[in-house]
Amino acid sequence: MDTQLPVLQPKDFKSDLKPIWCPGCGDYGVVQALYRALSAIGRPPHEIAFISGIGCSSRIPGYTTAYGFNTVHGRSLPIAQGIKLANPDLLVLCAGGDGDGFSIGGGHLPHAIRRNIDITYIVMDNQVYGLTKGQLSPTAAKGRKTVTSVYGSIERPINPLLQVLSYGAGFVAQSTPADMPGLSAIIEEAIRFPGFAFVNVQSPCVTYGEEHQQMKAQKATMKSLSKLGHDPSDFLKALEWATHYGQELHTGVFYRTPTPGPTYEAQIAERKAALSKNALPRERILELFQTR
Amino acid sequence: MAIQGIDIDNLSLKDALDLATLIEEEARDRYEELAEQMQVHHTPGAEAFFRKMVRIEDKHRVELEKRRHELFGSAARRVNRSMIFDIEAPDYDLVRQGMTAREAFAAAMSSEVKAHDFFVAALPRVKNPEVKALFEELRDEEIEHKQWVQAEIDRLPPAPSTPEDDVSDEPVAH
Repeated sequence: MDTQLPVLQPKDFKSDLKPIWCPGCGDYGVVQALYRALSAIGRPPHEIAFISGIGCSSRIPGYTTAYGFNTVHGRSLPIAQGIKLANPDLLVLCAGGDGDGFSIGGGHLPHAIRRNIDITYIVMDNQVYGLTKGQLSPTAAKGRKTVTSVYGSIERPINPLLQVLSYGAGFVAQSTPADMPGLSAIIEEAIRFPGFAFVNVQSPCVTYGEEHQQMKAQKATMKSLSKLGHDPSDFLKALEWATHYGQELHTGVFYRTPTPGPTYEAQIAERKAALSKNALPRERILELFQTR
Repeated sequence: MAIQGIDIDNLSLKDALDLATLIEEEARDRYEELAEQMQVHHTPGAEAFFRKMVRIEDKHRVELEKRRHELFGSAARRVNRSMIFDIEAPDYDLVRQGMTAREAFAAAMSSEVKAHDFFVAALPRVKNPEVKALFEELRDEEIEHKQWVQAEIDRLPPAPSTPEDDVSDEPVAH
């Protein structure tokens, strides 16, 4: 055993703030997995920016020692992209719930993906708006009864895995806090991916979730994609596995592009370098706007 | 087995003692976390029990650490917390707001069972006789802990006959 000990331990990423999630919430496992992943990555907390939207899961940046910004509902991705562009050296993480990411902020997701900004986006998908006491969320199954669908939902749910794959995300994975080692490894792999990485975490809502969504049920039914022989570089197969969303819980990497493209920030830097050769000095530009 | 990067088959006594210490540390920290959850969610009975478990797990940790220090001094550790996952730490989904003392004890019992199962599963793979002896000792301690928790459960008043769902007011729509 010649394992090199990481300099940073998981506890180095745990803040003094006590989580106020309901006892039994899946998000406790997510934050623990994140601490482990970050310690394995080895970047100190001051080199990490953690951005979130609004919702139970969006509290997560506060429970880490990284820089955090609990922004406005559905707007975590635009702000995270701005931060990454302003300071590309930062490791930028983004997190939120399924309502925050696929409904209120649903319009931002395709654009973050097509730009391929080097951000890791972790969605804690529990198929319900838990913070506001159990309304129907965009990933809730058809027929689901909630306070806003008392006779059962008549809408088809969004399939986030199919969505992000079709938008062209280079890294798409799914996991659950019922599999802590797997979740931690996937978050680490997502962070290491050079480009936009998406991790859908089936994080059960203990208060408004249904019995079959809870961790006990997940432990009994989840299936590892690697054990099923899935090759994460096979895009078409990834699409096929993604169609099982909502019926079966598959964990692991659905898709990892074998040829990651350039990131948005790298292309911006390249463009800046190319244009700056002939750029006017700042003083000269200001002079052009001076009134005579 | 809920460990990563640890070669159980060729574990040295120093690494085994460090691993055992970390298992107790992880359990202690998890009980601390669960006690805090209970405190935040106004469940004092379970909070008090989890705090008691914090003290017990920490006592075990200190004992193991002392043994390690006596045998190996301050020699560098080669195992760390990132390598172990919930070996003796209670699972997060075992706790609830308003949980009873009986449910809190049941959570502790399942953790002791997990720890016992870990050592039982590891033992056939261990080659070093000193490590084998240590793991046998730890396995037997887990049996004692299970017996202690069971005795505590038996001392509790009988569980209410009313199903929990009948007294729960959440979730509203179900």
